[in-house]
Amino acid sequence: MPTVPPAVRRKPWEERSVVVALLLAVLVPGLGHLFQGRILKAGIYFFGILGLFVWGVKLGEGVVVYNLPERGASRRITLHYAAQLGAGAIAYPALWQQKRLLREDNRTVRQLDQPLTAQFSGRLTSVDNDTPGDKLEGTVSFTPESGEYGTETKGNFTGTLNGKPVELKLAGGFYLDKPVGAGFRRSLKCGVVGDDDSGPGSRMIVGSIPRPIIDGYGVPPDLEQLQEITGRLGKLHELALVFTWIAGLLNVLAIWDCVQGPAYGFGDESWYVPNAEENPDSTKLPKSPPVNNPATSV
Amino acid sequence: MILATLLLAQTTNLTWYLLPLAMVVSLVYSASRFELPDRILRRAIWLFIQIIGFMAVVFGILWVLSYGI
Repeated sequence: MPTVPPAVRRKPWEERSVVVALLLAVLVPGLGHLFQGRILKAGIYFFGILGLFVWGVKLGEGVVVYNLPERGASRRITLHYAAQLGAGAIAYPALWQQKRLLREDNRTVRQLDQPLTAQFSGRLTSVDNDTPGDKLEGTVSFTPESGEYGTETKGNFTGTLNGKPVELKLAGGFYLDKPVGAGFRRSLKCGVVGDDDSGPGSRMIVGSIPRPIIDGYGVPPDLEQLQEITGRLGKLHELALVFTWIAGLLNVLAIWDCVQGPAYGFGDESWYVPNAEENPDSTKLPKSPPVNNPATSV
Repeated sequence: MILATLLLAQTTNLTWYLLPLAMVVSLVYSASRFELPDRILRRAIWLFIQIIGFMAVVFGILWVLSYGI
C-alpha cells in the first residue's frame, strides 16, 4: 500500500462565501458549485437534477408541479410539493400560481372578445353519443361576429381528419378553458356547422390548444382534470411525479455537498496509510479519513 | 390475449425509464460522496450496476412467483 500522501488539495467549498453558495445551490441545482469553481459537479447536478425534473414535467404534460393542500388541513404545503421544492426555483411558481388560478377574471370563455388562431389537437365527435370520434389535427381560427342574437363566436378548422385533409366551419357551443389552468393544453369545444350552412349540426370538435407555459406551469389541477390526466396517462403520470420528487430530494444531497464538501472525501484517501515513524498513532486512523484530514487539504 | 400483450408492452416501455433514472441517481449520489472525477465516475458506474441488478433480481422473483397467474 502506498505511503506517499496524496497531493495537498484545495477545498473549494471553503474558499468562497458559504452563504452565497448555499443560496445559489438552493435556487438552482449546481449553481452553488459553479460559484465555487467546481465545474464538473455543477454540470452533473444541473443537468442530472434539472434534467430529471423537466423530464418529469414533460411526461406529466405540465400537471405535475403543484401544491394542493386538502381543505381544512393544518399543513399548508403538501409532502408532494415539499419534495419538489427541493429542486429549487423551478418549483417555486406553484407558490403563486394558485392565486392566479382563483382570480375573478380567470374564467372559462364562452364568447371571444378578440380573434383567436391556434394549433388544435383533438377529435370530431357526435353531440349525441360518447364515442371518442375521429382524430383531428390542424389549426382553428375564431372571430367574434355580430349575429341576430348578439355577438357570436364563429370560426373554422383547417387540418386533417384521420390523416385526410379537411376544412370545417365552426359555430355554436363554444367553450374555451380558463386562461390560467393546470397543464400546457387548454380545452376547447365548438359545434361544427352542418352541411347546409344553416347552423350548428350534430357534430362538434373536442380537443385542446396550447397554453402558454407561464399560465399552465405550477397551477393546481381541479379534480376533474386530475382524473382526466391520470386516466389518460396512467402510470406515466405517476412516473412523472416520481421523477420530480427524486430530483427534488437529490438536490438536498447537492446542497449538502456544496456547503460541507463531499461526504466521504476526495476519494483517494484510503490509498494513503501514514507509516509508524510519521505518525505513531497510525493504527488508530480510520481507513478512509474524513475530508478535513490535513494530509489531503490545505 | 391482445389486451395482455398491450399491457405487457406498456409495462415494458415504462421499465425502460428506470435506466436513465438509475443513471442520474447514481451519478448525483456519487458526486455528493466524492470530489475526484475519476472516483465519482467509477463509483457511479458501480452503483448503477447495483441498482439495476437489484431491480432485476426483484423482477425475477416476482416473475417466478406470478408464473401461471
